[in-house]
Amino acid sequence: MNKRGDKILSVYWFAILLIVAGGIFAMVYVFYGTPYDIRDMEARILTNQIADCVSYVGKINSNLILNGAVKEGNGNFLDQCHLNFNSPEWKDAQFYAEVNFYNLENLNTPVLNIKKGNGNWLADCNIQENKKQGTLPTCLRKSFYSIDDKNNQYIIKILSVVRKAEKNVRI
Amino acid sequence: MKKRGNNTRGTILIENVIFIVLNILFLMILILFLYRQGSGAVVLEQSYAKKIALLIDSAKPVTEMKLDMEEAFVLAEKNGVKPGDIVKINRNVITVQLSDKGGYQYSFFNDVDATAYPDVSPNKNYIIKINGYK
Repeated sequence: MNKRGDKILSVYWFAILLIVAGGIFAMVYVFYGTPYDIRDMEARILTNQIADCVSYVGKINSNLILNGAVKEGNGNFLDQCHLNFNSPEWKDAQFYAEVNFYNLENLNTPVLNIKKGNGNWLADCNIQENKKQGTLPTCLRKSFYSIDDKNNQYIIKILSVVRKAEKNVRI
Repeated sequence: MKKRGNNTRGTILIENVIFIVLNILFLMILILFLYRQGSGAVVLEQSYAKKIALLIDSAKPVTEMKLDMEEAFVLAEKNGVKPGDIVKINRNVITVQLSDKGGYQYSFFNDVDATAYPDVSPNKNYIIKINGYK
């Protein structure tokens, strides 16, 4: 009787059970308590939508560049791209997008720069260039070639930034 | 001497049976806990809200999408939430509610007029309709 009691209900065995159960509970809590991070996908979709807006089927939108000349007053062009960066869920806009158009002859200075959203998140992208940090906004840089109506070639560089850290990472 | 030996063998057998039963019970409780966590309202609400947000973000106007939400329907029914109240879209915020605790909200950036309603048949789908740009 004493031996049986020793084996089944020994403090040692209960300690092992508690440690195993505690470990599993902790792992499950951490796993399911961490939100799904979809900001990378959001940034990709945003980039695609902007790319379709500024250059459709390989031709730059004629409201931006026409006859090889950049049209004036296009700073707010992204407002025409059906993007709504404001949400009652957040106090500040959680997105930022910037598009730069470069002539192939001069890749240092953009011929046109358009942007939209909360520029405060831009600084965080530079911090993440070497190491990605979840609590900071997700930044995505993409570039592609396009031509205007006179077949002049341009490189278009798009930067998309999505913050929404509280909803996508454990803080 | 013979009797004594038989008794010890019986004791060892009972000890081991109880030991194994307790271990199996412990493992079953853990597995049940894991299963309940994975199919809990909080996890599913978040998962569906984010899926719908991504669908709306990548959709063009005049699109109708059907999303299989069978798990959500089962859980909502269990928690007394009507099928029509599971997904709500207000301006650009999606709310998915599977229990009476308020639900989960997530916003989308595509400036479209979107509506969501449960499918009539089969009643395991939710229809997300993109009507047009705002």
